[in-house]
Amino acid sequence: MKKILNDPQAYVDEMLDGLCLAHPELARRGEGGRVVVRRGGAVAGKVGIVTGGGSGHLPVFLGYVGEGLLDSCAVGNVFAGPRMDDCIEAMRAADGGAGVLQLYGNYGGDRMNFEMAAEMLELEGMKTASVRVSDDVASAPPEQREKRRGVAGLVLVYKAAGARAAAGATLEEVAATARKANDACRTIGVALTPCVVPESGKPSFEIADGEVEFGMGIHGEPGIWRGPLKTADALADEMLERVLPELAVSRGDRLAVLVNSLGATPSEELYILYRRIATVLAGRGVDIAFSLVGRYATSMEMAGASLSVMKLDADLEALLTAPATCPFWSVR
Amino acid sequence: MLDANVLARAVPRWCAAMHAAAPELNALDGRLGDADLGATLDKCATLMEQALPVSPASPDSLEGIFKRCAQASAKASGSSFGTLLTVALMTAGKHCAGRELLSAQDVAALLSEVITTLSARGGAALGDKTVLDGLDAIQRALSGAAADAPALALAGAALRGSLDAFRDKPNRMGRARMFADKTIGLDDPGMVALLRMVEAL
Repeated sequence: MKKILNDPQAYVDEMLDGLCLAHPELARRGEGGRVVVRRGGAVAGKVGIVTGGGSGHLPVFLGYVGEGLLDSCAVGNVFAGPRMDDCIEAMRAADGGAGVLQLYGNYGGDRMNFEMAAEMLELEGMKTASVRVSDDVASAPPEQREKRRGVAGLVLVYKAAGARAAAGATLEEVAATARKANDACRTIGVALTPCVVPESGKPSFEIADGEVEFGMGIHGEPGIWRGPLKTADALADEMLERVLPELAVSRGDRLAVLVNSLGATPSEELYILYRRIATVLAGRGVDIAFSLVGRYATSMEMAGASLSVMKLDADLEALLTAPATCPFWSVR
Repeated sequence: MLDANVLARAVPRWCAAMHAAAPELNALDGRLGDADLGATLDKCATLMEQALPVSPASPDSLEGIFKRCAQASAKASGSSFGTLLTVALMTAGKHCAGRELLSAQDVAALLSEVITTLSARGGAALGDKTVLDGLDAIQRALSGAAADAPALALAGAALRGSLDAFRDKPNRMGRARMFADKTIGLDDPGMVALLRMVEAL
């Protein structure tokens, strides 16, 4: 293992220390400081949006706490769900009196802890709703979409729901927007090298030099096929073929496109992918109305990339382009 | 026979076994998912060791020990297996309220309740090749056991039999579900974790 750290067991907490020092608009709350909130606290009268999940994916999840985005995040250990108490604390911190939407990736530990937290807070009279993001097409077939995992598409769903909440919508409206954005979003990833979970100190999976795993999840979950690495254009073509048909994308449609690094893959290579993706879409008469290229949802030092697309209507397009700011990203 | 003394002495052994098994469980989990199962149980064990022992002057009850372990586990991790462990220990604590001694049949009844609760919370069913199938094998072995039978030996044997029976079946839950066919021939990491727990007792 070659990682820059002091103590593998302190990996998450020392990361949080540094992150809040670097970005004073964020603050830590809760026992052990595993809840990240906006320093100014909940916005009175606004629907609160809370997320949470394992560490090791920055900027996901906690990096999207900010104006026009999320209100709080419950932070788990690397690749492990947040604790129930931290989910509860995060929900309280997000509660501005208009209800709280739980918006997180569809993973077992995250789901169980958020469900238990909602049950506890509903007993106290808090109004809650829950939407689980499930954009990873490689994680289950289309007829079992409810079982799919949430990956980089989370960012686009956060943006849409966050903008709706910032505009003063009700809890039901914000939840409906999150559901609509999730339904319109699909992601596929490819991985070239594994990542190392600090506590274990070993690569999360093995892959030969010169091989690619097509469809791999953001924790190293095996994908659809593994084989010799193809050219960027060939990968881009196959990625598009995995995400466009499910959304029935056709001439005249407008899309949001996110080309995301899983961590180690440089922006240069992302732009080489984006070049092909934009060319193919233009050839089909499809407009890219909103594009993001960079590190938005990672798996620490894993090399690889993902493509997320969201099929837009005027409503979603307006929500994605509304102003927002967080430590890792801003839309103006 | 399970009473508070037996349980109090078993917890440190359970914790030591989880520390020892962590690398093996991380590696097994890494073949199917995110490689954090060993790290999760290692953290749970560390916090349980801090939560125990209690003073010999005020012996704890079965209910008390299970609940303290549940609180330690809840504090340690929100990962799926850690959360299921917390829910199982809370269920055991409630089940033992007011009881001082559990026979093998009583433990079988406790396990039935644990299986029902975990299935409701986690969403797995029996047959999905998860830790529930291991618990179910132990439950069935204990419910049919004679009063003087060696319960732990029976539990271990039942669990090994269950691992053998499920080895060539696909996983139908969690991350492993996504590539179920590739899980044929692999032991479920949660069932192996359960085996290491039983062996430690």
